[in-house]
Amino acid sequence: MHSPELLKGTLQTIVLKVLKDHGRMYGYEITQRVKELSDERIMLTEGALYPALHKLEAEGMLKTETETIGKRVRKYYSLTPQGRNLVKERVSEFIDFIQTMGNVLQVSLR
Amino acid sequence: MKLSEDHISYIVKDLNYRGIVVEGIQEELIDHVCSSVEEEMEKGLRFIDAYHNVLKKFGHTSGLRETQKQTLHSHHTKPQDMLKNYFIVALRNLRKHSFYSLINILGLSVGVGVCLVIALFVFNELRYDKHHEHAQRIYRVKAEIIFGGNHWKMVFAPAPMAAALAEEIPEVEAAVHFRQRGSYLVKRETENIKEPNVIWAGKDFFKIFTVPVRQGNVEGILDQPNTMAISERAAKKFFPGESALGQTLTLDNKFTFKITGVYENMPAASHFHFDFILSTEGLDEAKQTFWLSNNFQTYLLLREGANAKEAETKLVQMTAKHIEPQLATVLGEGATMEKFTQGGNKMAYALQPLQDIHLKSDLQGEFEPGFSITYVYMFLAVALFILVIACINFMNLSTARSANRAKEVGVRKVMGSFRSHLVRQFLTESTLLSMLSFSIAIGITYLLLPLFNNLADRTLSIPFNNPAFYIILVAGAVLTGLLAGIYPSFFLSAFKPVNVLKGHVSLGMKSGFIRSSLVVFQFTISIILIIATIAVFSQLNYIQNKKIGFNKDQVIMVEDMYALGEQSQAYKNEILRNSMFVSGTFSGYLPVSDTWRSDNPWWAEGKDYQQQENLVSLQNWTVDQDYVKTLGMTIIDGRDFSPEFPSDSTAVILNETAARNFNFEGNPVGKKIVTFGGQDMSADKLETLTVIGVVENFHFESLKENIGAVMLFLSKRPQGNLSFRFQSQDTRAVINLLESKWKEIAPGQPFTYSFLDDRFGKMYTTETRLGKVFAIFAGFAIIIACLGLFALTAFTAEQRTKEIGIRKVLGASVGSIVLLLSKEFGKLIAIAFVLASPLAWYGISWWLRDYSYKIEIGVGLFLFAGLAAFAIAWLTMSFQSFRAASTNPVKSLRSE
Repeated sequence: MHSPELLKGTLQTIVLKVLKDHGRMYGYEITQRVKELSDERIMLTEGALYPALHKLEAEGMLKTETETIGKRVRKYYSLTPQGRNLVKERVSEFIDFIQTMGNVLQVSLR
Repeated sequence: MKLSEDHISYIVKDLNYRGIVVEGIQEELIDHVCSSVEEEMEKGLRFIDAYHNVLKKFGHTSGLRETQKQTLHSHHTKPQDMLKNYFIVALRNLRKHSFYSLINILGLSVGVGVCLVIALFVFNELRYDKHHEHAQRIYRVKAEIIFGGNHWKMVFAPAPMAAALAEEIPEVEAAVHFRQRGSYLVKRETENIKEPNVIWAGKDFFKIFTVPVRQGNVEGILDQPNTMAISERAAKKFFPGESALGQTLTLDNKFTFKITGVYENMPAASHFHFDFILSTEGLDEAKQTFWLSNNFQTYLLLREGANAKEAETKLVQMTAKHIEPQLATVLGEGATMEKFTQGGNKMAYALQPLQDIHLKSDLQGEFEPGFSITYVYMFLAVALFILVIACINFMNLSTARSANRAKEVGVRKVMGSFRSHLVRQFLTESTLLSMLSFSIAIGITYLLLPLFNNLADRTLSIPFNNPAFYIILVAGAVLTGLLAGIYPSFFLSAFKPVNVLKGHVSLGMKSGFIRSSLVVFQFTISIILIIATIAVFSQLNYIQNKKIGFNKDQVIMVEDMYALGEQSQAYKNEILRNSMFVSGTFSGYLPVSDTWRSDNPWWAEGKDYQQQENLVSLQNWTVDQDYVKTLGMTIIDGRDFSPEFPSDSTAVILNETAARNFNFEGNPVGKKIVTFGGQDMSADKLETLTVIGVVENFHFESLKENIGAVMLFLSKRPQGNLSFRFQSQDTRAVINLLESKWKEIAPGQPFTYSFLDDRFGKMYTTETRLGKVFAIFAGFAIIIACLGLFALTAFTAEQRTKEIGIRKVLGASVGSIVLLLSKEFGKLIAIAFVLASPLAWYGISWWLRDYSYKIEIGVGLFLFAGLAAFAIAWLTMSFQSFRAASTNPVKSLRSE
């Protein structure tokens, strides 16, 4: 499992990209999806995920809708057009970062 | 596997119990937990085990709460939200304590309003003469001359100086000279109008000064004799609706001038405002080559990059070269500048930058009275002081009220406010207050400006369409807000919540040292201003009521007698037939400023005039036989002029100073004095007069000057003003009679008059203005300081309600409680008085050193000011104290 320290800066990128690929999702679904994609190597903690989601929402990158299932209320997140632009930016920024890190650490990336 | 309703209810309740309560986050976390529990149960766990696993993953209660807190934070870290919150809380606080807010806002806005007025004034003063394109390169020639016991510092230079400057000094690009001959009667056809702003000027005037010519060609505009340029104001006055160019105007009924140009009105911030510029090409006096008489204001424009110091050195050399030969003809062969100087005399010319004229020059012959840079600094300092006093009110009230806000601070801190949040909260409050005050201050300035303009003789206005004005205003508001808020905010935010909430903080009264010092500071400044005001007024009063050697009351001067020509004597006789008038005298030379002056050296008969120490330079005043009588002067030796003595045509009356300066042996009466006769001051033609009397010294210039030497002698033709002494109280009737007779004799000539005492008062305009401005400033300072004191006492009384109640129950009288409450601040004012006195004493002595005749600064002045401050402060306080003291103790003690 990757350390949470390493994940800190990439959390928003992960959330945004996952939401882009899957459309609307709720919080728990996102953690599950990330777990699945990373072969259980990335486990998003709730303490980090929800603040990030709320922050992105406050910034207008995400929009939400709620559905009531019996006694439970489920809140779905999806990207706004603004958010869509941000995804591209963040992903390419991250790829750039990986390459730079490769150079800095003198390792070749596959 | 789906959870049952019961399980969900259990989770909702449990999470609620663990403190997950925030709307919007609660449901989301519940859903998340439910989903996780479902997944765990898929693995075959029981509900309760699954739930505990999930909780463990969250980090139990603290983890859950942390998640909630973090999420909450991500909502509220947007700066505008934060500011909005500060803003709302600030507004609530202001409204809740409306009494204190009102005092704060009132004090601050009055302070800022006064400051704004002064700032506008100062800005205007610093702007003088900056509008000239070459302002940096324009200089004026000034002269310092010591000769025959007289000392002049003046703006006049010899007539040929301007031409010589331009020709002989390579640094000089152009030079121009001016000759001022007072006001002229100007007419187009028949109606004469008296115009004061008439000047004779050389042809390079428009080359040196930036005065845009609107009509006519700047090239050669003043090249011809009998041509003139006039301002648009004058053009509109004399040629309404038509072009003035090429038209003619007649001056003093005699000289006809053709208008060759119309120029833009000169801006208010200029040290001259001419409406008629006459070409000196037609002025004989301007063509003189005589270097020993100084009558022309001379300005020059240096070449770009030229060194003013070098030009000045060359100026000195050049004048010496021209003066020496002429000096020799007057003072005898072998007279040189060197010998002249060795004889204790001086004739020094120097350059003075144009931009120094308005604020740093006070010489004889200034076109218009200037202002003093010292007063500018003084005004600025006072403005700043008033602002500081207003800010101090704010600081004091905020810290004093800390008692009431300490609980708020405590609760905020417990709820997780950092100190920085509180500091920001308080700063927002003070900035809001100062913004509000600044907006009100603009209104106050708007109301105050006309008053100030009237007082300072300026035309200031608020620059509403200047963006810089708003920027400065907002910056000022923010700065003031921060300055006033910084101390209270750090003071208040430093409270320890545990002490505050337990009620341990000794608030309000005890943290008083800084507050006390601030109150002392406020009152020190107020008392200084009060003392200064009283000093200026008593000096003014002293000047105006001093024995001045003549009687300035009940004398009216009819001006411009030359307009009546030969008829003037008939006019005088006609007027004197009325019993309202006692006597009348013809003379342009009067003992007030801005009347005629003429200076010539004389010597006692029998002494060698080539010995410089024998020459006495003195005022030569031509008068008539009724002069001494009409002006109420006193002959202390010999006799007055009299028609019984035909020989009086060669008689002279000296004043005491003159009689002393001649160094006569024995009684001066009967002695003879001699001077050069004729136009060219040659030694061939001598003129001799016999002293018949000595008149008591009278002040003929401002009391800043010592009394100079004067001689009075009879003139063959009456000239100048006709002054009448009248005995009627009905000045209206006096004026009407004078005017109607004037109109009969000289229809079409303007009738102008003034009263001698008014003219006398005018010599002290600066002092009068200074006095009034100081009185106003002092008034505002003390009002603002008292506002603060008022609120502070109100607050103290409020704090000590219980104490007062108990004291009253135990038998204290109202008087003793009032005393108790006022004692503390009374002490502070006493300290302020002790601090203020030496400072004020120093300031007044410094101001008075310019006066030859001045008041003594007595203890009484200080005591009076101290008592006044104390009385005002005490009245302010006693209102509050009395109210507190007379409350029924039942009211204050009942609730607990």
